[in-house]
Amino acid sequence: MSTIRSFMTEDHRHCDDLFAEAEQAIAQKNLGAAVAAFEHFRNAVLAHFDSEEKTLFPTFEAKTGITMGPTQVMRMEHVQMRALMDDAAEALKAGDADGYLGHAETLLIMMQQHNMKEENVLYPMCDQHLAGETPELLARLETELAEA
Amino acid sequence: MQALLSFDRAPPFAAPLRFFITAPLFALLAGVLLLVEGPGVLASRWTPAALAATHLITVGFMLHVMLGALVQILPVVAGANVARPLLVATVVHGGLVLGTLALVAGFLAAAPGFFLAAAAVLAGTALVFLASAGTALFGVPTTSPTIGGLKLAFIALAVVVGLGVTLVLALALGWSLPLVDLVDLHAGWGLGAWAGILLASLAYVVVPMFQLTPGYPARPSWWFPWALFAVLVLWSLAVAGAAPLLVRAAEALAALAGMAFAAFTLNLQRQRRRARADATYRLWQVGLASMLLALAMLLAVALHPEFAEWRGWTPLFGILVAVGGYMSLILGMLYKIVPFLSWLHLQNLGKGRVPAPNMSKILSESAAMRQTASHVVALAGLVAAAVAPAWFARPAGLALVVASGWLFANFGLAYWRFRRHAREMACLAQP
Repeated sequence: MSTIRSFMTEDHRHCDDLFAEAEQAIAQKNLGAAVAAFEHFRNAVLAHFDSEEKTLFPTFEAKTGITMGPTQVMRMEHVQMRALMDDAAEALKAGDADGYLGHAETLLIMMQQHNMKEENVLYPMCDQHLAGETPELLARLETELAEA
Repeated sequence: MQALLSFDRAPPFAAPLRFFITAPLFALLAGVLLLVEGPGVLASRWTPAALAATHLITVGFMLHVMLGALVQILPVVAGANVARPLLVATVVHGGLVLGTLALVAGFLAAAPGFFLAAAAVLAGTALVFLASAGTALFGVPTTSPTIGGLKLAFIALAVVVGLGVTLVLALALGWSLPLVDLVDLHAGWGLGAWAGILLASLAYVVVPMFQLTPGYPARPSWWFPWALFAVLVLWSLAVAGAAPLLVRAAEALAALAGMAFAAFTLNLQRQRRRARADATYRLWQVGLASMLLALAMLLAVALHPEFAEWRGWTPLFGILVAVGGYMSLILGMLYKIVPFLSWLHLQNLGKGRVPAPNMSKILSESAAMRQTASHVVALAGLVAAAVAPAWFARPAGLALVVASGWLFANFGLAYWRFRRHAREMACLAQP
């Protein structure tokens, strides 16, 4: 059976792939393709954040009673990454490739260390505490991510 | 659970940064030593200047960065929060600076007083580090290969320091010990077990993270640190039991294990999904290739011990491992870590109201690339100097001074920019 950890981790990797596509387009100096690829990436990341903030985190918080712990830290990091994605998209639209690369590099490392904390700590905790409702929860997450 | 709730208790930037800014100065001193002393430094592994230069790189640069970085990353990669990180960093940093200088002075002046001071200060520093960071690390369950590897590396660090302090006391007090065997063990545990296991444990995390490569396979990742540790134990027993064939077998096994890891990592990097070959990627290529060459030398000498009779063998091996291998790999990581931490801390200062400058505004990719080029020139010079010291020792010393000074300037400038932005943001963020 699929776990919350494996399902959400797979979505992280999907976002990584889309990030790489935008970077490849920039490297080939194809600004139009880069703008499109970055939007694609941003939409996927925002859908991931939404599914966590609206479904996974509240379920975890309701079950464990931990509201000011890891989920709160993850929400704060989502805010930082949203700002970085806005900056990167703006630089890209202005045709500023160097500016984009600076924001994108920062975003990538922020995103990777954030994912690491979720994959190694928070998701295993979710699997542990939400074992009873995992099948329904996964079905909901899957629908939310597919709709995006 | 405990670790989780304090999830983002990142230590203040000042805790790791001081290590990164002073470490290049010790590499610079090694360059000065080579520039002043010339070919004599590379005449054999036993000259006072060779021992001083080796420890300027391994303790002054490598250990310096490693301990500073661990204070920073233990909470992130292991969920292990070091209590009072700034106090620990201040004590460990001060101890490393003074201890390294005393040790180097001891070698150069052959002065027992300096040796005794170095032994006391470095032993005390290692104890403080192991007691504080070790308590935090061994307090978390081993839920990943990285955490398991780090725990083994910490044990290896205790062995390296224990052997090192014993050797220094033997030199200072004239104890009659089998010095050559003990020095071999000290170097093996330092470069093989401590640095090797630490590097592998962190590579599991940073290679996929910085380069977007596939991950290391789970099962071998758990086994590799244990295998390396076991080989070092076997080798130590063989040395203690005076079993030369077993010593050679252990050396060959250590070389093969290291080569497998380096080759596997190079292959992972080949599959990276990032479009640009940045300084980090280049430095890891140089570092891994240099490591492969050094380990091929170790394998060769395990099969044909007579190779080591060539005067240049040990200096060349040491240069390829420490400067070409570890120093390049460490630089590759620092070129991501220093600008990212600057951004992260500025971001927290701005409280979301004032935007933080991105990583490349703190330390640009072109500045990192140019210093990387100077590092590669220094490495090439040192390799040439190991082969033909009379010709290349002083030019190589000069090249190392330039590369290390440049590194110091890069990190110093990054820090200056960080401070300037922090001051501006403190004014702007006032409600």
